[in-house]
Amino acid sequence: MNTCETIRESIGSWLDGELSPSASEAVRLHLAACSDCSVARQQLEKLQLVVKDELVTQAASIDFMPFWRGVQQRINRKRAWHEDLFEWSRGFLTAPRIAWAVPALIVVLLALFSLDSYLPGRGVRDNFASVESIDAHGRSVALLREDQTKTTVIWLYQDQEGENETAEEASKSGPTF
Amino acid sequence: MKLLKKLPSLVLLFSALLFLAEGPGGTAEKNPQSVQVTIRTILAGNKVDEFDAKLKGMEQQLKSLKYRSYRSLKDDSKVVPWQGTQSFDIPGGRTLTVTPQEFQDNRIAVKVRLTEGEKPVVDTTVKIPNKGNFILGGPPHEGGVLVLSISAAAQ
Repeated sequence: MNTCETIRESIGSWLDGELSPSASEAVRLHLAACSDCSVARQQLEKLQLVVKDELVTQAASIDFMPFWRGVQQRINRKRAWHEDLFEWSRGFLTAPRIAWAVPALIVVLLALFSLDSYLPGRGVRDNFASVESIDAHGRSVALLREDQTKTTVIWLYQDQEGENETAEEASKSGPTF
Repeated sequence: MKLLKKLPSLVLLFSALLFLAEGPGGTAEKNPQSVQVTIRTILAGNKVDEFDAKLKGMEQQLKSLKYRSYRSLKDDSKVVPWQGTQSFDIPGGRTLTVTPQEFQDNRIAVKVRLTEGEKPVVDTTVKIPNKGNFILGGPPHEGGVLVLSISAAAQ
């Protein structure tokens, strides 16, 4: 693409003041030196002028009042609560926010689960076992649940006649819970 | 920059994995293959005041039995498959037989049989919290009584 083609493509933007200062200066210098491009500039300026005149003429015949009234009404109208909620949630439920909110929620839940063990009286794990069946084959047996450590104790008493004669008092009496 | 754009997705994925791993009812405990059964044999008595340092972790449980002395005699641990049976030698010619039966609600049902020679002493079925224990005590031994801590952990 030669310089003239490039400049002619930029003339529209130059006329609208959309170019950077350096690009604008380059176009201005080229137009001052190049008669062909200067003619193209004049044609474009004429075209813009014609279009502008036409738009102004047409716009005068259009009644914009209903349009502006509608805009005004929409601005003044009080929105229903569900519309407010929808707007709010649309702003809140963006992917990055959810991505951070979900792990934060998980951390809070895990912290709450952990906190349970630090609360007074919650430190001891429920270690109670449930005894489904027991057969001590004729011996006396005690089933105890020790509350402090939440432990289940099955205690066998050696009280059968002629059995365990060597057992001492400790085993005969059993523990005192 | 690509990594930065993917960061929210990565964070979300990581947190979901964390929740699955740590959350209640994680998959790791649902289908245990076997049970680690540990038997601690302790001699309790009233002759002297003594507490074996090896039993430190069980101090509260044992002291609730109100004996004056506690001495660790033996620790034995075996991996037992479901419905399988393992025997543990207990001092005084006794044998403790343990059969894990089922795992439900994070509790392990175990069938326990204590024999003295050929003679059965006690047969019981107990549901223990996973990684918990219960105490079987009372058999006389060397002037005191045996206290057996029977614990089970699903694997």
